[in-house]
Amino acid sequence: MAIASIRNFGQILSRVQSHPTTYRAFSAATTGTSDCTLSRTAEQLSQLPTIGYVYLGEVPYRKALEMQKQLCRRRIDEIYALPQADRADLNLRQFSDTLILLQHPPVYTNGRRNHGKLQPDEIERLHALDCDYVETNRGGEITFHGPGQLVGYPNLYLKDHFLATKCFVKGLEYTIAETCAHFGIEAKTIPGFPGVWTSPTQKVAALGTHVQRYVTSHGFALNCTTDMKWFREIIPCGLEGKTAISLQTLMEQHGKPNCDTSVDAVLPILRKSFAKVFGCNVKPLEDVSPATFKFIQELVKL
Amino acid sequence: MLSVLRTARVRFAPAARRMAFRSFVTKYTESHEWVRIDGDTATIGVTDYAQNALGDVVYVEVPEANTEVEAEDVVGIVESVKSTSDIYSPLSGTIIEGNANVVANTKLVNKSPEADGWLFKIKFSDKEQLDALLDATKYKQLIEDGH
Repeated sequence: MAIASIRNFGQILSRVQSHPTTYRAFSAATTGTSDCTLSRTAEQLSQLPTIGYVYLGEVPYRKALEMQKQLCRRRIDEIYALPQADRADLNLRQFSDTLILLQHPPVYTNGRRNHGKLQPDEIERLHALDCDYVETNRGGEITFHGPGQLVGYPNLYLKDHFLATKCFVKGLEYTIAETCAHFGIEAKTIPGFPGVWTSPTQKVAALGTHVQRYVTSHGFALNCTTDMKWFREIIPCGLEGKTAISLQTLMEQHGKPNCDTSVDAVLPILRKSFAKVFGCNVKPLEDVSPATFKFIQELVKL
Repeated sequence: MLSVLRTARVRFAPAARRMAFRSFVTKYTESHEWVRIDGDTATIGVTDYAQNALGDVVYVEVPEANTEVEAEDVVGIVESVKSTSDIYSPLSGTIIEGNANVVANTKLVNKSPEADGWLFKIKFSDKEQLDALLDATKYKQLIEDGH
């Protein structure tokens, strides 16, 4: 699949407005957290583990990628070293689930399905913007990460949460929608278009995850005060006619330009939304699992 | 499910008439793959339970023929709802074939997960590894227990 780049914003808009399907899909989209159980029974919901959260500040993308790779490996080794009958016993494990929150310096990243597909001259063009380009094993297509964007990497063992992959992803979408709702912004999910949308064509957060032996990595990226100029250099997520938008721009459109939508302001709201949607406690990682906290800190320190 | 099995028997019926009676044994893994064993080869895919948990599949990678694999090696990928899920080989051996049809038409994994949506075939090298797999009754129990 060739990835062409379009810089003319006007071209994108006119193409979008003549596309009827996206409008129909948006009207059928679902808001917020109508299915807060994410298909779990009451009994299952009463057994969910506590998730530790940690905010790492700005971390170079490749360093965070390596950290996740090693964290997943460590968790898989720990869980699968246990006999099948013991794997549900959290007391036998040192490492906990973690909601890793951070920002990245400017970087374009791409998903597994586009490995080797971006032309060398296109990669050069992105580098010339003073930006890294990294291909990963996550789902989804090309997107941008940079300052002002709250990136979340939930590292969960899905079996502890009785979550199917599609329910886990739905949970991430609902978390973002719930966070937006706090700011009075209506954000929806659109069937067939994973992500969180504030209009038929504007996405406020991108999604892309990887599941290995039921352990998750990668996650979501919510535009808080991100400079949208970076998104205009690519077709975000490979979707022609769709664009990215930030909470800051949305608040300006709603006549509230002074509302604080910085990453620092959004972070505690997102954390509480995540806990509500996933139905579990989210506490500081250093209290939930000192071993996991130390492991992560060692790998991201400068 | 039954209609899927009937289709499989019809497809293989002519060969069965030429040879002595030939039966397949299907076993399962805890990560919701099915393993259809025929002599020293096995055909492997994800179960209906798995495809339902994944959601609509949009991208598939399968292993190449003649690749040597160990049990637990990652041999493929299935992407759905912007999430890539690694596919592991339950058996050691040599890959005979990856299903090119399913790479070209990823919806086969959702529409026909236990027949046309097969992912790869392997000539396995260690028969004892089959003992670790679940039979149909145990797999049914696993699903009913909510795993």
